[in-house]
Amino acid sequence: MSTQDVTLMAHLMRRAGFSATRSELEKFLDKGYEQTVEDLLSPGDPGNMPDDLIRRYHVEQSELRELSGAGAYWLYRMITTNNPLEEKLTLFWHGLFATGYAKLNQARALLNQIDMFRSYGLGNFKDLLINLSQDPAMIIWLDNNDNHKDAINENYGRELLELFSMGIGNYTEDDVKECARAFTGWTLKNAEYMAMRAGKDSIWPYGRIAWHYEYRNDDHDEGKKTFLGHEGNFNGEDIIQIIVDQQATAKFVATRLFQFFASDDVDSESHDQVISEMMDAYFDSGYEIKSVLRTLFNSDYFKSDECMYSRVKGPVESVVGTARLAGSYQLPQMDVDKLWFQTMFMGQGVLAPPTVEGWHEGVEWIDSGSLVERVNYAAKEFGDTTKSGVRDIISRLSDTYSEQINVPDLVDGCLDLIGPIQVGDHTRNSLIDFVSEFSDNNVLDISSFDSKGSKCVAQTLGLIASTREYQLA
Amino acid sequence: MTIHNELSIPYLKTIGIVNNGFNGRGFQNPHSLTIGPDQKIYVLNRCDVARRKAIRIGVMNYDEDYLYEFGYGFGSEDAQLALAVDMVFDSAQRIHVTDEFNNRVNVYSETGEYLTKWGESGSGEGQFDGPSGITTNSQDEMIVVDQRNNRVQKYSMDGQFVFQWGQLGSGEGQFNLPWGVCVDGADNVYVADWRNDRVQKFDNSGNYLMSIGSSVTGDSKLLRPSSVAVDSLGNIYVADWGNERVQVFLNTLRGQATLSKWAKEYFEANPEEKETREISDLTPDLPEHLNSPYHVSSQTESYFWGPVSLCIDADDKLYVVETNRHRVQIFQGAK
Repeated sequence: MSTQDVTLMAHLMRRAGFSATRSELEKFLDKGYEQTVEDLLSPGDPGNMPDDLIRRYHVEQSELRELSGAGAYWLYRMITTNNPLEEKLTLFWHGLFATGYAKLNQARALLNQIDMFRSYGLGNFKDLLINLSQDPAMIIWLDNNDNHKDAINENYGRELLELFSMGIGNYTEDDVKECARAFTGWTLKNAEYMAMRAGKDSIWPYGRIAWHYEYRNDDHDEGKKTFLGHEGNFNGEDIIQIIVDQQATAKFVATRLFQFFASDDVDSESHDQVISEMMDAYFDSGYEIKSVLRTLFNSDYFKSDECMYSRVKGPVESVVGTARLAGSYQLPQMDVDKLWFQTMFMGQGVLAPPTVEGWHEGVEWIDSGSLVERVNYAAKEFGDTTKSGVRDIISRLSDTYSEQINVPDLVDGCLDLIGPIQVGDHTRNSLIDFVSEFSDNNVLDISSFDSKGSKCVAQTLGLIASTREYQLA
Repeated sequence: MTIHNELSIPYLKTIGIVNNGFNGRGFQNPHSLTIGPDQKIYVLNRCDVARRKAIRIGVMNYDEDYLYEFGYGFGSEDAQLALAVDMVFDSAQRIHVTDEFNNRVNVYSETGEYLTKWGESGSGEGQFDGPSGITTNSQDEMIVVDQRNNRVQKYSMDGQFVFQWGQLGSGEGQFNLPWGVCVDGADNVYVADWRNDRVQKFDNSGNYLMSIGSSVTGDSKLLRPSSVAVDSLGNIYVADWGNERVQVFLNTLRGQATLSKWAKEYFEANPEEKETREISDLTPDLPEHLNSPYHVSSQTESYFWGPVSLCIDADDKLYVVETNRHRVQIFQGAK
């Protein structure tokens, strides 16, 4: 296999997944790029850490009442799944349809929503929007339980158009009102009791009581509505059908997927060309997200040098990707709740987006505080030579070079096996200077995992993780 | 949705209420229950990560008077517990508590004074890798499930190693992450062989006698059984944890919790919440992607959710400890 092939496959797995170990890359390369894309788009058995093991050892991840336990539960899945795109896309929908714990106080309701994104995320966008509109967490988050036929609440109707499907400028204020009218009666079962419990933040007598969707015909506005130029006695499903037929919706969906999977910025002709092809795929397939993503991943632009390293890794991508590369959290671990706090400290606490707009991505992920968190976390993960991923890298260095490895080979080998990552001469020379201090005559012994040389490999991996290049996807 | 309760085992009552604090009446992820002197009920609160420093044992009676509690905080110092799993009284009225993180058994008096500890990390005699279920037999021997060493160990009441049996596997006498344990009136030993989806029965010397579970098909199939108890007539009760139910061979309990005394007192103090609750339907239909025993139980308040541990008292009353609902459902065992 050529270096170019490895580089391209690693790029695909950083974008469509959470990075890949060298062993995983080798398996994907055996299949080839296009088949790998197809496999990612048709997820099978996720093979993630089994629920029984998680629930036996973590009572908080069995009850899933509170945020850190629920967040850690999802992180376990992201780290151990064999379907990385499925989880990555679920993370995308979580960011786009941002629903947060702060208002809900029901972590389980959020995880149920995540399950829904996992079930429908690669499928038909219309089905996804219908399920989103019936999702109890979303109903509470955007107050549709307060949207009544004689007193509409526009919150969900507005965000459905502005943030979830078409984008501002493609509808009028009247459309927002008509949309809200169509979603009257889409509410929660036991609405009065649930409102009472929510108001008091009651967990009594036996913990949280889950929310459930209920359609109340007697609270639905049956009157005629005019929406985006269409007239009729519309209910919510009718409104969603009109929405998914809009060019603006196709552009919105394609653009947001492009920004998440391809490039933070949309500012060139080549970007517009790919987005246009993704829009065609959206309509040709009958709004299938899978087709839209297939078009993106197989595009020349996605495979180009221009696309590589043009996105800043989000905190969750960074935390999960590093854990996967290091081979961490393959079994239940007492401190896994700290992993969720780590994503929070870096600015992206899963299940806790700051607002309905989700997180501000791209370079806004990085500030001095969050960067320190990223560097310290990665150094800790890679600095431990008991971890299977670190040991695999040491073994491969030993097999490729020698148990007595010279310093430049060690640095180049680490850069290759952690990515591959290409760094500038200044960075490479700095890494060589660092490693040289631990060497005898420019040579290090990596014959055992507890040798000084192996520990130096681990430290070098930690240092590489602090480079600008490692923070980019 | 209709709840089916095809029971020949009468439901008696529920004890418990969630306690969101760090002490006092109520439960926080209860994990085990045992009956102490004067029929006092001891409940081990494992506590979630946010409240782990409040790990403790609460003591109450059947009439739901909360009597007292004891705990020494989360950790590895003497008297402290980290990931406590199970507990049992010995004939000297001392309570032995297993800790699967510290790999030891802590011993307290019935009123909670710390007395001693036994066991250490490892795979040799007298060592543990994840002690979980614990019980005693008529000879005052302590029987401990050593989950990650996939074996059962016997000790004297003072923690001296006696003998062991078992190894990793799925054959007779082999285990895969076993959890709960109990004995019957003849000192036969029943082990909840968790990841083999069965309960194995042994004689007092560890000789294999029979299995319940994986070889049985249909409704009696077990999924990750966590605990087992046997009543005075030899009826076997299994906490079918992965199916969120209790199987009584050959009956099934799905749970039918009502309001405990403590819950009723809560609603007396919060009448407006009681009023809205009474007009609610708490047995919902669920969307397709949530159709599993775990999800159904998580969203149906009267059902068992996390039935982690069973206990039978001298009157053959069956206590089902639900870690996720912070309560205990009580049934009258079959007679």
